[in-house]
Amino acid sequence: MQGSTAKTILICEDDDNLRQLIRVVIGAGYRIVEAGDGDEALALASEHRPDLIVLDLMMPGMSGFDVLRHLRGDVSVDGTPIVVMSAWPNAQEAALEAGADRYIQKPFEPDHLTEIVESLLAGADE
Amino acid sequence: MKSWSLSARIIAASVVLAVLVAGVFAVLIYAVVTLDNAREREAATKDVRTALVGLEKLVIDLETGLRGVVLTGNPRFLQPASAARREVPRRARELERLVADSPIQQQRVRALRVAINDYVDDYLVPIVTLAQENLAAVRQTLAAEEAKRRTDDIRRSFNELQSTEEGRAAASAASATTQSRRAIVLGVAGLVACALLIVLFGLYLARSTAHPVREAATAATRLAEGDLSVRLSERGPGEVGELTAAFNHMAEELERHQRELQSQNEKLRESERRKSELVHIVSHELRTPLASILGFTSVLLNRDAEPEEQRRYLEIIDREGRRLSDLLNDFLDAERLEEGHLILAPELIDVARVVAEQVRLFEGQSEKHTLDMVLPPTPLNVHGDANRLAQVVGNLLSNAIKYSPEGGTVHVVAEQENGVVRVSVRDEGLGIAEDQQERVFVKFFRGDAPASGIPGTGLGLTIARSVVEAHGGSMNFKSDSGEGSVFWLELPTAAAG
Repeated sequence: MQGSTAKTILICEDDDNLRQLIRVVIGAGYRIVEAGDGDEALALASEHRPDLIVLDLMMPGMSGFDVLRHLRGDVSVDGTPIVVMSAWPNAQEAALEAGADRYIQKPFEPDHLTEIVESLLAGADE
Repeated sequence: MKSWSLSARIIAASVVLAVLVAGVFAVLIYAVVTLDNAREREAATKDVRTALVGLEKLVIDLETGLRGVVLTGNPRFLQPASAARREVPRRARELERLVADSPIQQQRVRALRVAINDYVDDYLVPIVTLAQENLAAVRQTLAAEEAKRRTDDIRRSFNELQSTEEGRAAASAASATTQSRRAIVLGVAGLVACALLIVLFGLYLARSTAHPVREAATAATRLAEGDLSVRLSERGPGEVGELTAAFNHMAEELERHQRELQSQNEKLRESERRKSELVHIVSHELRTPLASILGFTSVLLNRDAEPEEQRRYLEIIDREGRRLSDLLNDFLDAERLEEGHLILAPELIDVARVVAEQVRLFEGQSEKHTLDMVLPPTPLNVHGDANRLAQVVGNLLSNAIKYSPEGGTVHVVAEQENGVVRVSVRDEGLGIAEDQQERVFVKFFRGDAPASGIPGTGLGLTIARSVVEAHGGSMNFKSDSGEGSVFWLELPTAAAG
């Protein structure tokens, strides 16, 4: 338990710039864990038990869908809210079906992401 | 006379039938005419017989008159003889007319007339004259041979005429019977032959016309129902053969057109599918840098940040903006290559320097990859467009990194041998499946990359190879799935200037 108030957010995004952007947008007040691909994301998820996961779909190696399936099959992180972000058109339905809680289309409005993250974390508290 | 047309065959058969029917009728008409002639002949014989009997009666009248006068001495008895004497020439002429068709009979009639005349002139008249003077002497004479001889001659003539005439009538009747029988046999045989021929002709027409026409109709129906493989036998005579040949030609053409349409359709569908895939790729490839640009711009505009951070964000915006610009240039390049409008600005350049610069640019981009570069001590001079060749080398490096997601070493070698400058880039990545290798340089082809989540447009290698080829060089690769790939380009060396 590193600081009982700070919630942990796992960001899984292969594009360095976007990963940095997401971190900046979500902002201070959270403990951010970053992964550049699917394998890393799964390892970090089981290690850190994040309160929320922001996941890109299109990544080299294991895709975001594979990561989603693994996360949803893992009892320890099964209930963790997952926000899927993708630049692919028409990926929303598939992502929600695969177990995502929310879907954000890239490019995205930073405030929109902030709102979603806050509402999901607030909902998870109740 | 190779092969008769169907109409020629039908006309020929009709002519044969018509000739046969006409022949049969001619034979039958001939039989009727023959019978008619025989009946006429019989009638004529009857007339001749009647005339002969009439003439014979006159002769008997003459004889009887003569006997009466001689026996009684009474000239009254001579009256019928006188009438007969007047009558004889007329009757004889009539008889002569009746036998006009037979010269022998005519001659006989004439001889008979002469004999009767002689009998009258040389015997009857002198006897009658004598009887008025010396009846007794006459009576003696009458009994003599002379009288019997004369009347016997006349009678024999009558008999000859009679029997000849009967013979003629019998011969004519017999010949008429034979001929009419023969005609009836011929006629019946002809009619049977006609009937058989008509039936055969009908069968032939049915077989050679109706049957193929029905087959053609059935085939046309099947064709209309979509079975384009249907064909007819082309062995029919004349026009039927032409019809079936034309039908088959039509079916072949239809089938060919349909095949063409299907293949065009498939091409269209494939191009449609690729276009929609392209739209996906483009939108993804554009949205990723756009997301950074818009996102950081929004952060800069709406949130507070340290000047140092601001600068870092602006650098990202700048870099991603350039990435977008490069992407658009790739699309434009692909378009230009398609139209053959690639413009080069060639100068004498050192390929080793171009390679070194690109390797330096990519070195910092990936933490997982090590770039290992081997360059010769001397410059690798070629005539070429430095920017374009840098784009090519950059593409090979970018691919080597992208397609080895697990990381590893990328080996870059630039060398010169036998007047050829060669640059090769080898990775330890995914490699290319054998069945996809021949399409590696095809525009927009990305193999398994989209499924593996590797971004890209499928344009890089297409452009790279075109650029190298525009320099008079060549580009190729070797790859084993799962063991990585090596891509190389070869350019003609330029003399050092």
